[in-house]
Amino acid sequence: MSTIFECTDLTKKFGSKVALSGVNLKLERGQIVGLLGPNGSGKTTLIKLANELLTPTSGTLLIGGKKPGIETKKIVSYLPEKTYLNDWMRVRQIIELFSDFYENFKPEKAYDMLKSLNIDANDRLKTMSKGTKEKVQLILVMSREAELYLLDEPIGGVDPAARDYILKTILGNYNENATVIISTHLISDIENILDYVVFINEGKVVMTSSVDDIRHEKGQSVNGLFREVFKC
Amino acid sequence: MLRKLLKYELKATGRIFLPLFLALLVFAAINRFTLSLDKFDAPAIISGISMFIYIIIMVGMFAMTFIMTIQRFNKNLLSDEGYLMFTLPVKPWKHIVSKLFVSMLWMVASGIVALISILIIALKKGAFTQFTEVFATFYLQAIEQLGASVYLLSFEIILGILVSLASSILIVYASIAIGHLFNEHKMLASFGAFILLSTLAQFFILLVSLIPGIAFYTNVQISSFLDFIGLQWLLQMVMAYGIIYAALLSAAFFAVTNRIISKRLNLE
Amino acid sequence: MTWELKSDRPIYTQLIEHIELMICSGVYPLGSKLPSVRDMAQEAAVNPNTMQRALVKLEEEGLIITHRTSGRSVTEDESMVEMAKSKLAQEQISEFLGKMQLMGFEQKEILTIINKMVKEMKQ
Repeated sequence: MSTIFECTDLTKKFGSKVALSGVNLKLERGQIVGLLGPNGSGKTTLIKLANELLTPTSGTLLIGGKKPGIETKKIVSYLPEKTYLNDWMRVRQIIELFSDFYENFKPEKAYDMLKSLNIDANDRLKTMSKGTKEKVQLILVMSREAELYLLDEPIGGVDPAARDYILKTILGNYNENATVIISTHLISDIENILDYVVFINEGKVVMTSSVDDIRHEKGQSVNGLFREVFKC
Repeated sequence: MLRKLLKYELKATGRIFLPLFLALLVFAAINRFTLSLDKFDAPAIISGISMFIYIIIMVGMFAMTFIMTIQRFNKNLLSDEGYLMFTLPVKPWKHIVSKLFVSMLWMVASGIVALISILIIALKKGAFTQFTEVFATFYLQAIEQLGASVYLLSFEIILGILVSLASSILIVYASIAIGHLFNEHKMLASFGAFILLSTLAQFFILLVSLIPGIAFYTNVQISSFLDFIGLQWLLQMVMAYGIIYAALLSAAFFAVTNRIISKRLNLE
Repeated sequence: MTWELKSDRPIYTQLIEHIELMICSGVYPLGSKLPSVRDMAQEAAVNPNTMQRALVKLEEEGLIITHRTSGRSVTEDESMVEMAKSKLAQEQISEFLGKMQLMGFEQKEILTIINKMVKEMKQ
């Protein structure tokens, strides 16, 4: 099926707090999508729902036509905003772990990327700087041949050179069967690589559009439109 | 998948326990040596210190089994590392089982290593043959009195220990999981849950004993202890009840834990 | 040549212009094989679908040819490139002339300035 990600009336409440409300969204394969919105708009909640780290209050979320579960976890590659790897492990051991649990993980790819970034696979994570840890996590996520990549703030707090590397890696990984969803608030840095954007605010989808339509019809960048739409 | 989880769980915990085991055995050997020095009027402080260290290690080892049980569940599943564990294509119950199994393993292993270390210190020449003699006598007597059911009984005792161990670990997991449901004061909530669950477990046995007919068994007189046929039967009943009770509790705690981490997970 | 992309115009139109320039200037010579869509997108740091759109448009204009089995290449037809070159030149010049007119220059003045600067260019 060509629809890789589909939400129907998706709602998530935490007690009385509504994180997502009636979200309807349909994303096709082979796209690089920007999930854009201010902090607290529900981006991370949506991504966690897709990973079964949260369960919906009502409505449905389907990945490749299936509800989040073991089968979807096999085809979804997730990069959380935080460092989530066991500190005491060496990079080599984590690669082994990923190889063990994910059939579509390609260790050769991971080792290649580590080498090009001069990261020693024998180093323990706890000896690395935060930036290096984040790069390792990105490498692990991108070394999987997944059908849906969910990247939560992949370029936040990263220097420009690393940012370019990350964007190039995302592009280099592109294949028509997979979709990449990038959740971020740093829009101008990633605009050029996006096909499609989803604006989200206060738990609701405010707007969806292709990037070309925005520039063509509105004559402004996505960043410009974002600032307009989310003016305080 | 379960096997893979077990592998990583063992790796993560082994790096703590194996050095501890080694240290304990080494200090047991040291103690054996320093204790023998007493013969030569060596200052008592040497054997005192080495015995002290040995005991500290022993205590630390057992404390560690408890600490690790909590920490592996809490840190690896319900904090940042949970982002990795719960996105692996593995059903949540397998996480519980792998950690339960490895916790039990280290507890049993600690017991065995502690025993070995004591033997290292205290074993005298010929003590081993003495021990085997005593054991043989005991064994023959047991067979005489209980017949072949001594094997069944031994099996039941081991099973009983294991199931009780499992339920005591699972009540901890369930308490931590319940604590996870709260936004603030998670530790306090876990503690409260632990007390609540323990109380409920006691209540449960009380309820069970209220079932008519069960009371009959609890009124068995002490004098029947001497009635050999009754003894065997009594022992079987007690063992069976103990095992069933612990098994039911384990199942309940497991179900609660599984339900929470499957449906009500909310990692920060 | 670096891919400079402005943020208020559609990316694919800017890509088309850039590739046209590269073909006209010989950076992508006549008949040469082009890198894959993926590689070109990576180099330009843009979405592969967008790059694909640009290449398809250039194909419609005849500057690029797709071979069924061996990817894309620049046309071998020199006249096509010459046409594109003069079109580009005309676009540049009309933009230039528009600005000059806005500043109030007369035709004769414009030609004088151009002649002077072209002479300096050759040196």
